[in-house]
Amino acid sequence: MSAFLSYLVHGIAVGCGFALIASGLIIIYRVTRVVNLAQGMFAVLAGLTASSMLDLGLPHGLAEIAATIASAAAGVILGLVAIGKRGTSPEASLIVTLGVGIFGYALEILIWGDQPRSFAGLSGLLKISDLELPKQYLLIIAVTLLVFGALEVFFERTYLGKTLSACASNPGAARLVGINVTRMGLVGFALGGALGGVAGVVLTPLTPVSYDSDMPLFVNGFAAAILAGLRRPILALAGGIGLGVAEAMVAGYAKPSYQSSLALLLAITILVVQSARRSSLHVAEQ
Amino acid sequence: MIDVEDVVVRYGTAIALDRVSLTVAAGEMVALIGANGAGKSTLLNALSRVVPTASGSMRIRGCFAHVPEGRQLFSDLSVDDNLRLGAFRATDRDTSWIYELMPELDGVRKRRADSLSGGQQQMVAIGRGLMARPDVIAIDEMSLGLAPKVVQSLARQLSRLNEERGLGVLLVEQSARLALSLCSKAYVLETGRLVAEGPSRELVNSHFVVSAYLGSPLEETA
Amino acid sequence: MTSVTRERVTFGALVAGSLAAAALLDDSALSLYVLLLLSAIVTVGVSLVMGHAGQVTLGQGAFYACGAYTAGVVATSGLPPLLGLVLAPLAAAALATLIGVPLLLLRGHHLAFATLAMHLIFLSLVGEMTITGGDVGLQGIPRLSLGAVKLDSIRSYAYLSCLALVGIVLVTKNVLASRPGRALRALSSSEVAAASSGVPVGRYKLAVFALSAGYAGLAGGIYAFHMGYLAPGSFPVLLSIEYVVMAAVGGLGTVSGALLGAALVVLLVDALSRIATMSGMPSTAPVVLSYAVYAVLLVSAVLFMPGGLVSLIASLRAKASKARALARSRQRNIAVGHDTSRPETSRHGSPS
Repeated sequence: MSAFLSYLVHGIAVGCGFALIASGLIIIYRVTRVVNLAQGMFAVLAGLTASSMLDLGLPHGLAEIAATIASAAAGVILGLVAIGKRGTSPEASLIVTLGVGIFGYALEILIWGDQPRSFAGLSGLLKISDLELPKQYLLIIAVTLLVFGALEVFFERTYLGKTLSACASNPGAARLVGINVTRMGLVGFALGGALGGVAGVVLTPLTPVSYDSDMPLFVNGFAAAILAGLRRPILALAGGIGLGVAEAMVAGYAKPSYQSSLALLLAITILVVQSARRSSLHVAEQ
Repeated sequence: MIDVEDVVVRYGTAIALDRVSLTVAAGEMVALIGANGAGKSTLLNALSRVVPTASGSMRIRGCFAHVPEGRQLFSDLSVDDNLRLGAFRATDRDTSWIYELMPELDGVRKRRADSLSGGQQQMVAIGRGLMARPDVIAIDEMSLGLAPKVVQSLARQLSRLNEERGLGVLLVEQSARLALSLCSKAYVLETGRLVAEGPSRELVNSHFVVSAYLGSPLEETA
Repeated sequence: MTSVTRERVTFGALVAGSLAAAALLDDSALSLYVLLLLSAIVTVGVSLVMGHAGQVTLGQGAFYACGAYTAGVVATSGLPPLLGLVLAPLAAAALATLIGVPLLLLRGHHLAFATLAMHLIFLSLVGEMTITGGDVGLQGIPRLSLGAVKLDSIRSYAYLSCLALVGIVLVTKNVLASRPGRALRALSSSEVAAASSGVPVGRYKLAVFALSAGYAGLAGGIYAFHMGYLAPGSFPVLLSIEYVVMAAVGGLGTVSGALLGAALVVLLVDALSRIATMSGMPSTAPVVLSYAVYAVLLVSAVLFMPGGLVSLIASLRAKASKARALARSRQRNIAVGHDTSRPETSRHGSPS
């Protein structure tokens, strides 16, 4: 298999992980207007928890589910601190998520130490003609597609999904209709935590995680979310995969250490261009 | 159904509502008129517990729905979704009776709320309020930005609901003409204070109301 | 004593106190003291940016690193070290001006992310360039010499840091008192209002951003000569976050807040790491405790003390003086014969 194809496949798989993190970010942002700087922490927490569960003897599958539940619970706790107090502005909540993320560092080092941990994923390659596809990559892609499919159904077909969308669309009107917007915000945080957890659980077999792995994950996830315009989670899938592939190409053909800088520059550029266009629109309206 | 007594609402040091009292009996249609900034929306917000009251009492017996100024729809959700979300507190999420009541909405069930005309949006807003099966519905500035024919149609529907189902209505309007012609009782609010109240036919003839709010004697609008 | 005189006296006492500390503390306490002073310098800048221009900056550590590396590179290339120290704040301010133009178009969480990203990009660049020594960093930075005086003891850097801190505090106070400074305060309450009253919002935001970067650069330059070596690992993203914690805890937008916050955080973390390195504690205890403390301080400050320590102290003072005034008026009334035990207003009518 050519180098290009192997970079491509790796990029798609990693990009799916970014997309999962991005979708959690987007959901939390849409429902609560808060950017969750600790989104990466969910992935790390889940990865570390899964590795411990496996060490304790839990079979594959159960361990990952337990880890995802743990990160969803962490999401609820984060939500309580970030938006539980009435009158907390989104900017203040942003800083609070930062604080809780740092607390997460302390907890993670306390429980698991400061060295990276991993666990074995699906080993082996799937061979199709001259393509050699690592099975873990295929698992990541399959899980991602499943999760995004489930998210679509959730938001388009279920009443709870519509309620969350209502909070995102018009929190004032949502309150008038009787929706407890804060409680829905916690649901959003739980969902964001679970999505981050899934990302962690599928990515850890690829790259060992430790407490400080959350920053690169957050940065890439946020960049993918920005590319999706922080709107619909499904767009994050395209954004994440695009970002993953771009970074894989940079790592493969240029220098590996520049790959996250690429993501960052891309995201910043888009943000700045959007801002510039918006402010010139304001000027034009005057 | 709604019993407001000596309610005071403050925004910081400014007094938005100064000892306002108001009642809406079961099946009654009541108008609350006043100029922009008089405090009409504030009263509704106080009833919905969106703003706190500094003193006074508010009693609401039964279910209360608040259709806010500017409609405040869930703009990126469909008409049907908007309606069904109105039933968040209720047990029955069936929307068919709303489409029977407002057949103009039947053809646009799946369209995004912000793609509709102003009149249709107002209908969705009222429909969303009705989905909560309220005993009293309060509508803030229903006629704002709508053509007279559309407003008449909405007014007719409200009268029907009031006659057929005993729905109480609190109509908050800058357009005194509409409110007084539709409702049997009216209150006039000016910079946070009640300056007039009574049966609509009396207020319509009072010099004060005519000169301040009606401009010329009320003509038949039907 | 008027409040201005009181302020001047307090300021003078603080300056005298800090210089005395530099003179009297022993060597082990001195390196902590230098760290405190340098952190305070950076935090004054952060507090200014976040409190007055209302911007969240999570990348101040990059400007600190920029100043440090500028000083280090200049000094290790044979040029006079003093030149390095002078160029350090200038380079940082120039960098801030350059990236500030696009970046300051952003607000709130977008700006927070962009400044965080900027720090990461800066680190990755510095880790790659040969001129900065790449991942290994710069070694053997010569000691700073001011004319004939060679600064080769920790104590001398403590004095230098003191002087630098005093200098930037004076600069900041003058900036805040000036016309642009007052316009800045208008900015912090409402950008739209400020813009519509003719304040060149964009330019002021950029100026504040560059000024605070200059402070961080100066501190970084001193750090480079004090330590003698630099590596990308000395400037992790957490550093930027630490400065935000110090500024938030002390009280955004005030100089005294920045000083209080920096002092509290540095001393608290040091105390904790002493406890944590006592025998019997696991080896990861220092790190765990310092992260936990940062986190709790930051979250508590944001949720419960939005004005920071400064506003807490101010409200305590206000309560105390209110209590004193109440006690005084009670005494007066008892002396004259009024019974003040019942409330002034009755239930059935208001005084007005």
